[in-house]
Amino acid sequence: MNQTAVLWYRTSDAHFLKPRSTVAFLLLLISCGVASLAQNVGQRTNSPAPLNIRTTHLLGFEDVSNNANGTLSFKGDALQFQKGDKAAVQVKISSVQDVFLGDQSKEVGGLPMTLGKAAVPFGGGRAISLFAHKKYDTITLEYVDKNGGVHGAIFLLQKTQGEVLRNELVARGAHVSQSEGESTKQRTAEVPSEGK
Amino acid sequence: MKANKPVSFFVLVMLIVAMCAAHPPQVCAQTAAGKSSTNSSAAQWSVQVDRVDAGDVNLASSFQFAIYERILDELIKTKRFKQVLRDGDRNAVDVFDLLILKTTVQKYTAGSETQRAVTTISGATKLRVQTQLCTRDGQVILERTVNGSVRFLGSNLRATHNLARNVAKTIKQSSLPGPSLSASAQGGQL
Repeated sequence: MNQTAVLWYRTSDAHFLKPRSTVAFLLLLISCGVASLAQNVGQRTNSPAPLNIRTTHLLGFEDVSNNANGTLSFKGDALQFQKGDKAAVQVKISSVQDVFLGDQSKEVGGLPMTLGKAAVPFGGGRAISLFAHKKYDTITLEYVDKNGGVHGAIFLLQKTQGEVLRNELVARGAHVSQSEGESTKQRTAEVPSEGK
Repeated sequence: MKANKPVSFFVLVMLIVAMCAAHPPQVCAQTAAGKSSTNSSAAQWSVQVDRVDAGDVNLASSFQFAIYERILDELIKTKRFKQVLRDGDRNAVDVFDLLILKTTVQKYTAGSETQRAVTTISGATKLRVQTQLCTRDGQVILERTVNGSVRFLGSNLRATHNLARNVAKTIKQSSLPGPSLSASAQGGQL
């Protein structure tokens, strides 16, 4: 009887202990998993994603046509502009002499929108013009070529992207003449019409 | 008498056609000669374009560089100069017959694309610059005031395109002294 009781006790204890150890093991596994995930996230934040900014090249970048849409990115110590599948055009960051930020308001829709507005009767197209404008950032890069000739390249970017690109350029060693505290943002458009 | 009327009218028309046919070649020949004479004198010069001086005008850097870049483009298009060099280009040292183009902004009216689109008559962006073509020693051989504006369609930066086109046109139409004449004049001064 006694033996049976002991056996029953032992068995029950063994049954009771098994789940406890399994839970402990699972907890250990989960904590390890969480720790490794956290480490991965930490590593990701330490190495930032490569900067690719969709932009329109307005003018001035050597060997790139005006009003070309493409992507601005960094490759090594150079800033490069790539239009579609064409070969990228690069400028060394060390050759950038200054960076200027600005903003511009531009009418959206292009020629189809202009024609559409013209077709609206009773001058209704003018009313559409009031709302068919979008604000963009402009960034002007002053850089020198291999002969020392000065270039001024102007890019049109989505709002707030100009600041991101400028900060990245500064972080990578581009020269900026204006002090950090000074606002470099300059308005190039949509200023009330006035003589200066 | 009535039959003579159409005949005289026909003769008159033929006379006018004949005169028109005779004159254009003369005009074309004159302009071609004029072009060749001006081109031959200016083709010997090279030009270096200086950065745009904003002067006392509060002009955004993007505008200054847009004017600079577009003047370079337009001057190349005119084919009046042997070389068109940028500011700071080291190759300019070796160029003997070099002119320097200086551009100073005199007036700037910041317009609004929205205002232009809505009202048509207001919101124009206007630029006025003074351009000087100088020799290396600072002798001004051409000085002009040029305007550029955008009144109806287009962004504000389009004013820089129109301005640069006018600058190039002004330089193209003006007669420049030959480099040798200029050199002798400089020698006389010295």
